[in-house]
This record gives sequence, C-alpha cells and structure tokens, in this order.
Amino acid sequence: MSTLSTADEAVATRTVASDAFGRKSGARAVKDQLARALMWGAFLVALIPLVWILGATIVKGGHMLVDADWWGKSQAGITARREGGGAVHAIQGTLIQAGVTALISVPIGVLTAVYLVEYGRGRLAKAVSFMVDILTGIPSIVAALFIYALWVTTLGFQRVGFAVCLALTMLMIPTVVRSTEEMLKLVPNELREAAYALGVPKWKTIMKVVIPTSFSGIITGVLLGLARVMGETAPLIILGPYTAVIATNLFGGLMPTLPTMIYQNYSEANQPAIDRTWGAALTLILIIFLLNLLGRFAGRFSKVKS
Amino acid sequence: MKIQRLGAMASLALVGSIALAGCGSDNNTGSDTGETAASATGAASSDDCFDGTLNAEGSSAQKNAFEEVGAKFSAKCTGATVNYNPSGSGAGIKQFLAGQVDFAGSDSALKTVEKDGKVEADEAAKACGSPAWNLPMVTGPIAVAYNVKGVDKLTLTPAVTADIFQGKITTWNDPKIAAINSGVNLPATAIKVFFRSDESGTTENFTKYLKAAAEANWPGEPAKTWDGKGEGKAKSAGVAEGVKSTDGGITYVEWSYAKDNDLGVAAIDNGAGAVQLSSESVGKAVATAKQTGTGNDLALKLDYATKEAGAYPINLVTYEIVCSKGKDPQKQKNIKAFLTYFGSEEAQKAIEEIGYAPLPTEVQTKVEAAIDAIS
Repeated sequence: MSTLSTADEAVATRTVASDAFGRKSGARAVKDQLARALMWGAFLVALIPLVWILGATIVKGGHMLVDADWWGKSQAGITARREGGGAVHAIQGTLIQAGVTALISVPIGVLTAVYLVEYGRGRLAKAVSFMVDILTGIPSIVAALFIYALWVTTLGFQRVGFAVCLALTMLMIPTVVRSTEEMLKLVPNELREAAYALGVPKWKTIMKVVIPTSFSGIITGVLLGLARVMGETAPLIILGPYTAVIATNLFGGLMPTLPTMIYQNYSEANQPAIDRTWGAALTLILIIFLLNLLGRFAGRFSKVKS
Repeated sequence: MKIQRLGAMASLALVGSIALAGCGSDNNTGSDTGETAASATGAASSDDCFDGTLNAEGSSAQKNAFEEVGAKFSAKCTGATVNYNPSGSGAGIKQFLAGQVDFAGSDSALKTVEKDGKVEADEAAKACGSPAWNLPMVTGPIAVAYNVKGVDKLTLTPAVTADIFQGKITTWNDPKIAAINSGVNLPATAIKVFFRSDESGTTENFTKYLKAAAEANWPGEPAKTWDGKGEGKAKSAGVAEGVKSTDGGITYVEWSYAKDNDLGVAAIDNGAGAVQLSSESVGKAVATAKQTGTGNDLALKLDYATKEAGAYPINLVTYEIVCSKGKDPQKQKNIKAFLTYFGSEEAQKAIEEIGYAPLPTEVQTKVEAAIDAIS
C-alpha cells in the first residue's frame, strides 16, 4: 500500500511539473498517459484479490459476527452439524498467545536492535545481524518443528499454549529487530552528539534521547510484527491442537486459537461448520486489521524531525 | 506526551482484551436445559462423570462420531471436556506413543509386525507400562456413492465396482452394469470416478475390499493412496462435493458424507444377493469379523469377501487405543468413564443418526468387558 501511495504522489508532482513547463509535446503526453494507465492498472490488479477476499469473507462470515453469542460464547457442546456457540474461546487464545509472544520478543528484539545500532562493531555485530537475517527467512513450520523437538521430544513436556508462544517468538523477534533497527538509524546523529556534548553518558543518551525519539516508530514495528504472527497457523497445528472450550492456561492443556478453529472447521461439509470457518476467518482479519490500524496510527507520530 | 498517549492506547487495548477474556462463557445450552443438565449431574454417580479434560487424537473418519459423543458427554457431565484432534490415524498413534494424548483414535489396530525396526504394539506397551488395547468403538460404513440423473436404485458387484474404479467401464449403460440392474433405466452418461487425493484410511479400506472381493479385477495393492483411475479431491467432503456437482459421478466415501450430500448409495452384491447399506447390514458384517487381538485387545479382522446374506461388506472399524493400565489412575478412571458412555446404547444411537453404524451386540459386550478391565 505504501509504495502505491508514493507512486500516486509521484504522478501528482509530474502533472504539476508539466503544467509549469507549459504545453506538453504529443509524444510525451502519450507516454504520460500510458504510464498513468499502466500504473492504475497495476494498482487495480493488486486490489482485486484484496477486495475479493474481504468481500467473500464478509458475505459468507459477516452474519456470524453480528450474533452476540459469537463474542460471548465458546463452542463447548457444539458439533459440526449444530449451529450456535461462539468464538470467544479462540479469540481469547489468540490474544493471550499474541500478548505473551510480544512480552517475550519485544524486549529481546528492541535490545538487540539497540545493540546493533548503538554498540555493535566488528565481528559479533556482523554475526548477530547475519543470524537475524537467517531467522527472518525461517519458514514458520520449521520454527514449529524446532520447538516441538525441543519442548516435547527433548524436554518431555506436553503441547501447551506456551510452546506455541515460543515458536511465534522465533518468528517475531527478527521482525522487531529489523523494524526497530531502521527506526533507530533514523534518529539523527546530531541529537546523540548534542547529548554527549552536555556530558550525558551513552546509556542515558540511548534511554532518554534515542529511544523516545523513535518510540512510536518502534511501536509501529512491534504491532506489525504482532499482526504477522497472529495469523500464523503452522506452529498452532503442530504445538497447539484445538479445543472447543475456553482455556486460558498457557502451561496446561490445549488452547484454542482462531487459526486452529478455521483449520478444524474447514474440512467439514456441514453448513454450520462452513459458516464458522468464514466467521473465524473474518474475525481474525478484523483483529489483525485493528492491530494494523493501531500500528499506522502510532506511525503518524514516528516521523523524526531532522 | 506522545509516549503517554501511546501508553494510554496500549493499556486500553490490554484492558479491553482482559475484559473480553473475562466475559466468555462455555455454556451453550439454553437456560432450561442447563438446569436439567445440572440436576442430572447431581443424580449421576461419580463413576459416570468426572471433572477434567481428556485429550484424544487420530483418525478423521471417527471425528464426527467422537464430536457428537463428546458433546453429549459434556452436556451430561458438566465439568468434563473431551477434545479430539482429527490429525489422522498415524499422527494419533505417534502422539499417543509420545505421551501427548490420553488415548488415540485409529482406523487400524496397532501393528504387531515389525516395521522400520519397531513394533507399534510393543512401543505402545512401553509408553503405557502395560499392554495397549484396541477397542473398536465406531463403525463407519463406506458408501459407494453415485449421482446419475434418473437412477435412484443401483446394485454393484465387487467385480463391476473394481472395473468402474479401474476405468474399464466408462459409461453407465455398460452391459456389465445393466446385467446386474435389470429394470433400471441406465443412461449413456460417462462415468466420472472421484478419489481421495490425500492419504486416507477410507482409501485403504476400500482397496482392501476390492482386493479381497474381486482380486482378478483389482491388480493394485491396498494402500492409503489411490492407484486407480479418476479425479482426485481432498478429504471426504471434497469427493462428496465432486459427485454431487457432477452427473455421472461416483466415489467411495463415509456414509455420513453420502447422507449429508444426498447422494445415491449403491447396494452391494457380494454373491448372496444385493445388500442395502443400513445399520443392520453393517452390524451383521462386523459381527462376523474375527478377533485378532488376544483377551481384551479387540483388534478385528473384517471379512470383506463375506458371502453372508444381508451383510454389507465395505466397512471401516475405527478403534480407540488405550493403555490397559495407565500410569495415572485418575486419568484411567476418566477414560473409563468416557468410553463406557461411548459404548452405551444412548451414544451409539446418537452416532447412528449421523451416518455411523452402532456396534453389533456381540462386539459391544466384549468392548464393555474390556472397558471395565481398564485400570
């Protein structure tokens, strides 16, 4: 989306420029129109799947969400052939797991980024940066299997919500590190130098100048990272089987989430289950949309004045 | 200032999610039935119910039955939750061996022959600390489901079925089909075979049947993957949907799916006359199955080529695999309570309504005795 809006701005400036230079020559006008048509075409093509997905989920799942039960009840005692029940158990599970994942990965991610930008020199920093790059490229299923091998096979624990959080953490840390790093790099060096000139120690400069300046940018990155891991399904299928009842204990028993609720219902031929699949999908889209919105909103304040 | 605002936003979100977390409810029964359920719990003896959770995993063929019985059980025993994760028989057994689930659901009994240096049954005994038992709890007949305009009655023999699924018979008015369906007006529509594209216990049992009952016509070996002809579709819902939307379509699918999609179900003539698919005809076939396990291990071997009159031969018996003597006595008690209910007439009747067949009395008595012996 952001690339598209910059492209829009580019067109706007070009139009203004050509007006300023007076009449355009025919060939250039044709080129201009051609480029404009191409760009709009590309934009519309990119929009098709988005609108299609949103439209389909709203049409097929919208009616589930207007029912108050959807937000207040679980699926306890409901089978694929029976209507009724809600998704509150899955919504809670998703929110709890996302919250704990953020709680673990944000400090690690932000501090790693601070190290990379402010302290890291030489081999170690290169190694860390390289590892973060590798971590970014790990498919979620590999992260899930790694945690399964560690948590279940090696340590002999049960599959619980916390194991899912660990796998999601592996996916979230690199996103947080990368976005925080970019934000910290945006902080102008003059600010740091001014602080040093006043005799402020380095750690205090980071705490009081660098991080506050880029704070809202960091928040944006965190929220976007969170939105990404909330929709992950592979770790959930392997580490967090679905259950139809409310379960909020991260360390005992199964924990339902929206992606596993979708996965559980999608292979059913019965209408109530199909409706629930769409309903859960729409709920997940809605939650992630809200998070993204929050991220964008926070991002408004993130522009660092140089 | 900025940070404060963001902090306020974050805390608002946090409070919101906590508030949401607090207000959910597991109660899906109406207020009236809720009260009766509660009073019923009070009346039920403590052996019938328990407080807690049981986790099972395995075959997707018994998912609907399990879900139904689980829902009924938790309605009867508030406080008891039974989870079933339909990840497939193989995955279920794996998780059972790893101690991740309390019992497994499987389309086939634990293997007693060595494979890759390991014997499943021995592995399970090691994991349990006692022999593991295969308890047949759910019988899922496999329907040969078709959709041909104008044909609402169809009989097939094993040989003709094998030829159809091999792609050797290509139209519905083929003389071979007509010969066993006198009086039925068969159109010249092309036959379109749909098969399961994913690995499936249904495919395995269906090919086992074809191999056993029509060896001359079915050259392939029984397997979880299909090696006949046709068009592949994922999962039972996929093949059922394929037949439903195609005139001339035919497939093999669990009876419940054929019922849900209003598909025609062929009667099977194994040599003793055409047999309609019904819970009685299935029960008859399962009753003739040989027990291959010893004692309370009730692994069964179905006779697919059965010539017994009135026995529907294509069946899938799915098992619950349990530890005969578990490490956690309370857990074993809970399993016992749930399986006792699963084997009860009430539960078996409930799953009959959704396309499974109840256990024949002979088998049911044995299963009850085995469940009683779990400790």
